[in-house]
Amino acid sequence: MGALLIRGRTWKFGDSIDSGNIDGVMGGVDPEFKNKVKPGDILVAGKFLGMGASDEHAPRSLKQAGIAGVVAESISNIFMRTLINIGLPSMECPGIAGAVSEGDEIEVDFVAGRVRNLRSGQTLNGDSLPEFALQILSSGGLISYLKNDGQFK
Amino acid sequence: MGMTLTEKIIARAANRKSVNAGDIVVANVDKLYIKDLRFSKKEDAKGLYGVLLEVLQSMGKQQVWNGGSVVVNLDEQPPRNERRAEGQERARDFAREQRAILYEGQEGGIGHNVMVEHGHVKPGEFIVGGDSHTCTYGALGAFATGIGFTETVGVLASGQIWLKVPKTIRFDLAGRAGPFVVGKDIVLWAAGKIGYEGAINRTLEYSGPGVKEISIESRLTMCNMAVEMIAVNAIIPPDERTVAYVREISNEEFSLLDSDPDAIYEQVYRVDLERIEPQVAAPEYPANAHPVSEFKGVRIDQGFIGTCTNGRIEDLRMAAAILRGRKVKSGVRLIITPASFIAYRLAEREGLLDIFKQADAVVTSSECGLCVRPSLSAGEVCISAGNRNYRGRMGPKKSSVFLSNAATVAASAVAGQIADPRDYL
Repeated sequence: MGALLIRGRTWKFGDSIDSGNIDGVMGGVDPEFKNKVKPGDILVAGKFLGMGASDEHAPRSLKQAGIAGVVAESISNIFMRTLINIGLPSMECPGIAGAVSEGDEIEVDFVAGRVRNLRSGQTLNGDSLPEFALQILSSGGLISYLKNDGQFK
Repeated sequence: MGMTLTEKIIARAANRKSVNAGDIVVANVDKLYIKDLRFSKKEDAKGLYGVLLEVLQSMGKQQVWNGGSVVVNLDEQPPRNERRAEGQERARDFAREQRAILYEGQEGGIGHNVMVEHGHVKPGEFIVGGDSHTCTYGALGAFATGIGFTETVGVLASGQIWLKVPKTIRFDLAGRAGPFVVGKDIVLWAAGKIGYEGAINRTLEYSGPGVKEISIESRLTMCNMAVEMIAVNAIIPPDERTVAYVREISNEEFSLLDSDPDAIYEQVYRVDLERIEPQVAAPEYPANAHPVSEFKGVRIDQGFIGTCTNGRIEDLRMAAAILRGRKVKSGVRLIITPASFIAYRLAEREGLLDIFKQADAVVTSSECGLCVRPSLSAGEVCISAGNRNYRGRMGPKKSSVFLSNAATVAASAVAGQIADPRDYL
């Protein structure tokens, strides 16, 4: 739960996917995706992932499908915070869309902010997560973080 | 080094002398807004109150950090299904037990309008809300941003939130907008100009000499659609107009801050308001905005005037100016949903609702309405005064939504095709 160093097979999506179309495990983009994705897989997307509504069932559907991490060119503030708060590690990594082909296995280090494509050997530097986000992810999400710690330290 | 208005508010809320873009801080929240939908079991089987009670219990507490700073609103009246009805019941339980403020009935409407119109937003405040359009409140000089379900629980339990101070993009406005050019056109123009690339996770600040001519309603629209530009928040430094508006509805004290002359902006866009025409955003992105003239003649099936973006009295007056003595084209439906009951009653007193009815428009009760409820069939086209035209937003994937101001919607409903409201003067 919320591992900060992951390896997995990638699924690729495009730019400007709003939370309404992410709902139902990317159901608005690919209704079959929920049957194809396997626990431990990594979702790679283009720019502006998760724009639009703050409804949490969209990111939760990704977590429930077993996706281990999300890496995108850019991610909307609300969506990225929610991913972290529900314990699903995510990272903004400019260049990721061009560096990964669907099915590539990648390694993502959310602490260092680094992505390595295990097929091509290419390494990309993304935005490392703030300490608060890492603490929340290590706890498995904001709710367990608050249950353990009571407040932000 | 100078600070922007947003940086000053964040610094104050974080008990720091100053902050810079990129700093990670923990801020004390002045106010929290929650919509009724958050209390339903849509996002978590335990519901928001169920999850919250578990967190509070583990912290050895029974009460939220400050119930008097929490505003709950029933966005949908009457609730349209069992799940919504149950959510509203839990929202009432929550408000009673946690001594939060709750709005429903004739006090209600869309939560963001209720927050502003009932005096819960004041300049300088740090506000978060469990809905993405919380950014609307920046129009009154507050920092305001939307948060998700889990983070709402976190704020209720702790009164705090961590955030990264955003970089600020400034729109330096000059001149005065022409007829039927309002806040919606300014913000669609801005979205079209900089796209998402420039605005993502930034603060948008609208300032400069042109702001003083812009109504509070239009300012609310401009800040409301910051989230469509994927910004964290938008803000307009308070001026005489802001102070007069807030004094009218609130007796509480507030502080008037402004950005420093040497504040650091990532980028500054100079905008001549006189050159902005009524804008229309084509499907499927709000940033897909162009002058209305480029879309004239596009056939429509439905017009919709309402939402936290454009269901205010200014919008209803503009629509009435077009619809007075005219009829909605046969075969086209025009649905008008005043965003709050305050706007509804004002429109009623001014005779606007009669004008709408005589024009064969359908006037509904005040709520989010068609913005959150499918109303199109495959192939149908809607022109909406709302904020989102993403694929499938108002119906099946094969329906489409154009966005514009309320007068353009009204003119288009009369014409049966996208029309320029200036042709109906």
